[in-house]
Amino acid sequence: MLEIKELTKVYDDGTVALKNVSFTVPDGEFLVIIGLSGSGKSTLLRCINRLIEPTSGQIIWDGVDITAAGQEDLRRIRRQIGMIFQQFNLVKRHTVLTNVLTGRLGYTSTWRSLLGLWSRDDRERALRNLELVGIADKAHNRADELSGGQQQRVGIARALMQAPRLLLADEPVASLDPATSHSVMKYIEWMNRERGLTVLCSLHFLSLARRYGTRIIALRAGELVFDGRPEEIDDRRFKEIYGEDAIEVEIR
Amino acid sequence: MSERSFYVRWGRYLVLIALAIPLYIWSWRTADINLIDLVQGAPKARPIISDLVRPSLLARERVTLSVSTVVRVPCDGPAPEPPAAEGPTVSLSATCLNARDPLVVSGSGFRPNTPGRLYWRVAGLEGRLRDEPFETDAQGRFTVQTDIPPLLAQQGGVHALDVELKWEAGTLRPSETLRTTVDKMIETVFLALMATTFGGLVAVPLSFLGARNIMPATLWGNTLYVAVRSFFNTARSIEPLILATIFAIWVGFGPFAGVLALSVHTIASLGKLYSEAAENIDPGPIEAIRSTGANEWQVIWYGVVPQIVPPYVSFTVYHWDINVRMSTIIGFVGGGGIGLELQRWINQLQWNSAATAVWAIVLVVSAMDYASAIVRERLV
Repeated sequence: MLEIKELTKVYDDGTVALKNVSFTVPDGEFLVIIGLSGSGKSTLLRCINRLIEPTSGQIIWDGVDITAAGQEDLRRIRRQIGMIFQQFNLVKRHTVLTNVLTGRLGYTSTWRSLLGLWSRDDRERALRNLELVGIADKAHNRADELSGGQQQRVGIARALMQAPRLLLADEPVASLDPATSHSVMKYIEWMNRERGLTVLCSLHFLSLARRYGTRIIALRAGELVFDGRPEEIDDRRFKEIYGEDAIEVEIR
Repeated sequence: MSERSFYVRWGRYLVLIALAIPLYIWSWRTADINLIDLVQGAPKARPIISDLVRPSLLARERVTLSVSTVVRVPCDGPAPEPPAAEGPTVSLSATCLNARDPLVVSGSGFRPNTPGRLYWRVAGLEGRLRDEPFETDAQGRFTVQTDIPPLLAQQGGVHALDVELKWEAGTLRPSETLRTTVDKMIETVFLALMATTFGGLVAVPLSFLGARNIMPATLWGNTLYVAVRSFFNTARSIEPLILATIFAIWVGFGPFAGVLALSVHTIASLGKLYSEAAENIDPGPIEAIRSTGANEWQVIWYGVVPQIVPPYVSFTVYHWDINVRMSTIIGFVGGGGIGLELQRWINQLQWNSAATAVWAIVLVVSAMDYASAIVRERLV
């Protein structure tokens, strides 16, 4: 169980990105975070694995206070939390295989990883994960030779390498076309249902949120303005989240 | 646009033009610009330019034939026996001479139609004195009139008189100039390589200190950042020519002084380029690697290094090419390489030789420019 308690983040320039956000995520949930750009979705996700240091509040995961962890503990926590990104964040000049293998860095000693001495087990696991996301044939291509959808699947394979229990997905399909979006979302859904990962996923489109989420939370200017089941978001709630002028756009 | 703003805008341009005109008149005068000299002086440059398009590249081997005889000065002892010689023979009108006595030197059996010259070798002294030139006739004979040089008359004793003929024979070979040029050009390229390597090795760590996104936003971090950046800017603005002058005094004339001067310049110049490349890296892959639980070394190796290696290598190759070009100039002030020879040839008005060096520089610099362009294209 992941507990977020009164999480606040104020950036150095004074921007308040998160204001006293609290919620709880039971294991196995597919939690979708919605909200306008700049509402604090990315900040919230990055506070959970402390890519961004929260200003105040607590994040407790299975009884462990992530916000209080030292560097060494933090790395041990991070390696159990997979993360995928809107811009895929692959190392463009490396091969697909190397990109996937970087998911094992948290489990590999410094000198072995600096020399590129990955264990046979890690290599096999990487190829298996690439097969799983359907791009095993691209293993030796440079990452930037792949299409957007394929790159995001590499990102998923990289996250799978960590054998994570929690997956943070920051707008994973915002850079993809609708058809590709669904194929990527289905992989995330598969991780949630078949592998039992807890998923926290921020999304732009409410239609995708409704289709994949088991629960939705909404942020508006850093504050939690909705927490409930997807079907509870009616027209009134929608306008509360996105503002009076917003019109819902469907993505099928 | 309203009429008023139209006038305001054009009024501004008029003021600018009114300010620019006196500025340009002043500059024109200060710079001593004289178009008449440019046209009228052209013929003076013609011989130089015509030599520049005829660089010294090939030469035939030069053959020297020397025949020696002896003369006693003054005429107060027994006449010396001329050394016995086979082949060409030289005969003198007299074998002992007093000061200002005329001397007729004649010879036969030499190579026909070949220029030659007389040389005096003074007894007990190094070196020799140049005397009359001559040319053999179609039968290989010559006659030349001279007299005893005053120095020899003063010195007294038995002096040697050399008859020397020189001609070109054999196959065409690279001229001495070309050989020196190739030698010095290689020195220049290697000098530039060393400077680029030393400069690059120092610039890499410094560039991290000069990158905003890498330095922590603390007081220490900012101070170091500003210090390193100021060093880059200051050192870059000191001409390598000045640095070479200093180092030529410090470690002596030669390529090492050039290496040092160019290294300092390269540190500053590459440091700035590297820093900017480091500031432009994509933070995305770095946070992705960090999110896997990687430690800082792993983040640097897998997230930072792949992003900075291509620009760093490409800037380094590019700077090698710049350093080759610069080292031709710093040779002028004692930095070694081709510049030193070029300067010597220019000072001795050997324009053909200077031309060889100039063309060699053009060739090497364009070849390196081309090669570095290919390398850089591959890397991006």
